Amino acid sequence: MKRHLSTEQLSSYMDGEVEHAETREVEVHLASCPACRARLSSMRRLVVEIRRMERPVPPQDLAYQVKAQVAAQGEVRTLRTRASDLFRAVFVQPSFRTVGAMGLAAAVVFGFLAWQTVPPVPPPHDAGTQIVTVRTTFGEPPLGLPETTSEVAGREFVLSGDRWVQKGLEWKQPDSRVVVASPEGQDMINKYSDLMLLLTDGSRVVMQYRLATVELSKG
Amino acid sequence: MGVATVSAVVHDLGVDVELAERHRSGDVRAFNEVYARFEEMVYNLAFRLSGNYEEAADLTQEIFLRVYRHLGSFGGRSSLKTWIFRIAVNHCRDRLSRWRPLTQPLGDDRGEGEVSYADPSRGPEELAVAADEGRRVAEGLARLPPAFREAVVLRDIEGLSYEEIAEVLGVRIGTVRSRIARGRDQLRVLLET
Repeated sequence: MKRHLSTEQLSSYMDGEVEHAETREVEVHLASCPACRARLSSMRRLVVEIRRMERPVPPQDLAYQVKAQVAAQGEVRTLRTRASDLFRAVFVQPSFRTVGAMGLAAAVVFGFLAWQTVPPVPPPHDAGTQIVTVRTTFGEPPLGLPETTSEVAGREFVLSGDRWVQKGLEWKQPDSRVVVASPEGQDMINKYSDLMLLLTDGSRVVMQYRLATVELSKG
Repeated sequence: MGVATVSAVVHDLGVDVELAERHRSGDVRAFNEVYARFEEMVYNLAFRLSGNYEEAADLTQEIFLRVYRHLGSFGGRSSLKTWIFRIAVNHCRDRLSRWRPLTQPLGDDRGEGEVSYADPSRGPEELAVAADEGRRVAEGLARLPPAFREAVVLRDIEGLSYEEIAEVLGVRIGTVRSRIARGRDQLRVLLET
């Protein structure tokens, strides 16, 4: 008797993924070799078992979370598209070039005059300290951060002191503390870049991350 | 391949390209259609490659964000299904290599409120036996080397052809053939011991 069929031959024969000539060769061998027939049956049973494993159903809120993140992406995309369209309309379309240039000149002049009316910023007391000053020349002062968020990292957060705490974790102590510069912190930021929005003013973020409650801070 | 199958493939490709064009032109329903069509497949793949329900949900979310960003560049050189699977496999490899090797037994990490496997058409005994067999197979799969696990999951769970798997993994058909055979063989040995 010729040598037995290889596992690769049996496996691809079972899947119907062999050439016609090889199919004939495999079938001729199988007809006269009980050992290879047994191996083929065993492989078939294994594949049936694999296919019988139940398929988990995605969590119900997954579609909502994906669509919320996509909607945020879509807004950025729309803004980019609009900015690009505006740029093209103003500076690329010949008929609008003159009007665009006049508009830009007017904006520059207006900006210069507005800058003239703002009192100069006093120099910082200490060269090592960075002072950030917000000045407004008209209208209402900028609003502070809201005390709750919606859909940051696919979660909702509540401001508690200097910590943004994921809803539902208000009474939990963090299992670990992570700084942004660490590999795990980088991993979290890579995954949820919008967390930086909450961290920018020095706040910390407490959230569920990979089955643990993690407190994330900038340093 | 028969005439009917060829025309079905051509039709599917036409639908896929049209979806990408609609997405490019700003039709938000196009992405929703893609999501509805592939959510379950992507979640299953992510689950079988990560072995963790929560991680599978996170991976699915990230994969679809990538799909959303790049759908406009889909040109129909392969089917949308293999294109999405390629993104999914690459993303899982990337994320899981930075996380941990897949050694955690499956079926024990499901948190409160997660989905149930229960199938009302089966009796309690049958369900218990099936669950036990399923768990053994899942644990065996989780112990396979990643390259073999990917090939076996794509073939035996997702039902892709060798050609489609070669496209998804970016390898030759001969390599696919070898990985599937070796993966099945190793799994058989694991289940027998």
